[in-house]
Amino acid sequence: MAMRELVTGGAACAVPGSSSSSNPFGALANALIGSSSKTQERLKEIPSSTTTATEPPFYQDATAEGRLRGLPGAEFDHSFSHHPTPQGSEFLRGFRTADQNGLADAWDEIQRSGPPPPPPALLDHRIPPPQLQPTLDGPPQRVLSNFLHSFVGTSHGGIPFRPSPLPVLGLSEGDKQCIRDRSSIMARHFFADKSEDFINAQVNALLSSLDIDGDMRAKGPLPGRFRELEDYWNESQGALRPGPPQADGWVAEFSQHRIDHGDPNAWAHSFEQQHGANGWASEFEQEQRLVSAADQMGGANISNLAAREQTRMLAHTLAQNNDPKFQNSKFLQFVSKMSRGELIIDDNQVKPAALSSPGDWATEYQQQYTGGPSWADEYARDQLSHGPDQWAKEFATEREQSGPVDDQWVNEFSKLHVDDWADEFGRQVGEGAFGDGSADSWADAYDEYLNEQVVAKQKSDASRGVYVFSDMNPYVGHPNPLKEGQELFRKGLLSEAVLALEAEVLKNPDNAEGWRLLGIAHAENDDDQQAIAAMMRAHEADPTNLEVLLALGVSHTNELEQAAALKYLYGWLRHHQKYGTLATPELSDSLYYADVARLFNEAAQMSPEDADVHIVLGVLYNLSREYDKAIASFQTALKLKPQDYSLWNKLGATQANSVQSADAILAYQQALDLKPNYVRAWANMGISYANQVFTSASLFTAPSLVPSLASGMYEDSIRYYVRALAMNPKADNAWQYLRISLSCASRNDMLGACDSRNLDLIMLMGECMVLLTPRITAFGALAEGYPDFGKNLHGQEVGKSNMVYWS
Amino acid sequence: MATIQLKSDAIFELLQRFLETDEGIAVKNKINLVYQFNLAPEKIGKDEVSYTIDLKKGEVIKGPYQGGKTDATFTLRDEDFVKLADGKLNPQGVLKVKGSLSAAQKFTPDIFPKRPKL
Repeated sequence: MAMRELVTGGAACAVPGSSSSSNPFGALANALIGSSSKTQERLKEIPSSTTTATEPPFYQDATAEGRLRGLPGAEFDHSFSHHPTPQGSEFLRGFRTADQNGLADAWDEIQRSGPPPPPPALLDHRIPPPQLQPTLDGPPQRVLSNFLHSFVGTSHGGIPFRPSPLPVLGLSEGDKQCIRDRSSIMARHFFADKSEDFINAQVNALLSSLDIDGDMRAKGPLPGRFRELEDYWNESQGALRPGPPQADGWVAEFSQHRIDHGDPNAWAHSFEQQHGANGWASEFEQEQRLVSAADQMGGANISNLAAREQTRMLAHTLAQNNDPKFQNSKFLQFVSKMSRGELIIDDNQVKPAALSSPGDWATEYQQQYTGGPSWADEYARDQLSHGPDQWAKEFATEREQSGPVDDQWVNEFSKLHVDDWADEFGRQVGEGAFGDGSADSWADAYDEYLNEQVVAKQKSDASRGVYVFSDMNPYVGHPNPLKEGQELFRKGLLSEAVLALEAEVLKNPDNAEGWRLLGIAHAENDDDQQAIAAMMRAHEADPTNLEVLLALGVSHTNELEQAAALKYLYGWLRHHQKYGTLATPELSDSLYYADVARLFNEAAQMSPEDADVHIVLGVLYNLSREYDKAIASFQTALKLKPQDYSLWNKLGATQANSVQSADAILAYQQALDLKPNYVRAWANMGISYANQVFTSASLFTAPSLVPSLASGMYEDSIRYYVRALAMNPKADNAWQYLRISLSCASRNDMLGACDSRNLDLIMLMGECMVLLTPRITAFGALAEGYPDFGKNLHGQEVGKSNMVYWS
Repeated sequence: MATIQLKSDAIFELLQRFLETDEGIAVKNKINLVYQFNLAPEKIGKDEVSYTIDLKKGEVIKGPYQGGKTDATFTLRDEDFVKLADGKLNPQGVLKVKGSLSAAQKFTPDIFPKRPKL
């Protein structure tokens, strides 16, 4: 389940047609955010509230108002949650449809009146509330919501949660899973200042009183993955049952170890259990140690065995770390695989061990024990007598089934240069970074490295001008993907429009309009590489399309590719019905910026009322970095075309380039008013906030306040980046900028989530940022003599971790 | 010889403007070191163009540093420099460093103002 869903919607228990605002945890989080009048005051200073106020037409869901207010533009979220899962029991549906506002209101009341007085909302139901503990009868949804409220309530006093007996609620497994996951994660944020033990105790208390099994399975492998296999094995066990008991037991043993399927150690283990602990396995292992100590074996095997022995020890150490994030990390999986011999290092390349590795091992063993009858023979005979062929087949099929999941990352890994990895590891160990606490940051770094490699590969494709199609495209096979794409684009659903348009150009590779709109969608989604790749195809299909030529000129300008940009902008002029006469064909061989600019100025004189000429001029002046002229050109064009959102963004970006951040923000705001889902403008907005940190801070004389003020500006920029990424998680620039802003705002706790591109987690942590960090924007705090400056909502002094320094 | 056009030119110009602003002055005061960049249009060691980023004086000069020894000198490809400034590249492996390592480490992509897109 995606973590953002916790607050903004419900994957596991989403109700068809429900908007994310009906998520109980989201509502609770909102109630918490909204409950503090101070927070609200601060939130008013967030630019997003301005957006909100000026955009009533886009506001379709009034109940969503409070939701995610900390994130600018989050009110548009509901348009994205249109993939509800069909699951969700009748009960939760009832819970959802129960009056959400009533719930939030009731919570607000509780908050305002302080804990002791009984919540009025509850009195309405004529049930006397016992102290803090809300009533626990009535319809199930009321019971559950009150119950959850009382759980949340404990976050304020830090008092242990005392569950009261509940009537039978009849929760389905899905509901339980949902409540279990959500409460565990939310609790970690509610009780962020408490110890892990306290949190676990709280959650367990909650879960046990709801009769939910507290086993989070967070530390094990994903449960869903092996369910299919389990069924399969149960089936096959049934089929084998008539066979001799010995085989049966062996199969059972194997089925117990199914998680380690394909793992020769597990296999050996089960063999060992059957044939005694002093069986061949330990003997063999001892022998191996002796042999490797004596250095008598072949080099490759020794190093592999030694590596395995070392990684086994490493895996053991790592496994002691209880952090679930770490437990699930690719690095630990890697080490485990190494230790189990599923991966070997051969010639500095990591390779998956051959499927037949148990056999190889057996052969190796045989070579050493050629004297006596080898266990492998014996075992083989044994197998034959019990008809194990069936087993072998099944095992093979199973490997095939589970192969893709497991081997994917192995393949990914084997593409990498392992020596880089090894160097990095060596360096980290050398620095002592591999201590207890930092082990997981190291693992994070490793995960980041993997991600980088994958992204880098895609980038290198894209940078060669090759369009990179999405893997899974639901629009392939759609009867009219172009129309669908145009419709989605018009609605502002850019990422969806991209998919539909990709389906179109897969179907009709020569459709210039399909490619063009795809390019525009990518540009608005802040992906210039893909925009260029798509526009090149559009250009191939229709070499004289002016919009395509302009778009290519703009994208190449953004990528600082001056020659290419000039070529396309000149092409625009040359193919223009009216201005084509100005262009001299021989010029196109050796383009000079000054010539092109001169021609466009002539064109502008010819028809000063043509906005497009001014737009191209503005782009040209950006290319030559004459920003004042560029700003003037765009402003002229805007007088002629005031509804052109991309033009407002161009003006804003030029103003920002010319270090006029405040003006830029106003221009971006105009663009977003016209097109709320304009990812590029959101990202640009974030850049402007990040770049103007010190301008605003320096308005104030007290230097000690500067860091916190700056931190506020960074957090504003973070909000905008997150907003952009929520709309397009593939916006690469925004990820990079987000990382920089996070580190500038000293939000090192969120860097890991950023590196693994876990936006859900960032958003969740962002919620807490709104809750816990003083939100001071430049003009708010000092002007009004803000009394709680430097304190968080709990009245605690904010430590240096919230300060920002250039580093 | 015609001057070689670098993609990085735009970034150095942006940095120059940035260093004149209050936020730029804050960066200058914080770091207070001199860096030189040798940028290769195609291959390291060929047609390199030098830029000096003087964060003692707060200025960007096209050309090698004239005031003696830099605190650190970086050599890399033009294209990689753009990626570096955009925060898209891990400098390890693409960057040659001469001079003080601690000075080099103080120079991070955060120093460059981010480039908005048209």
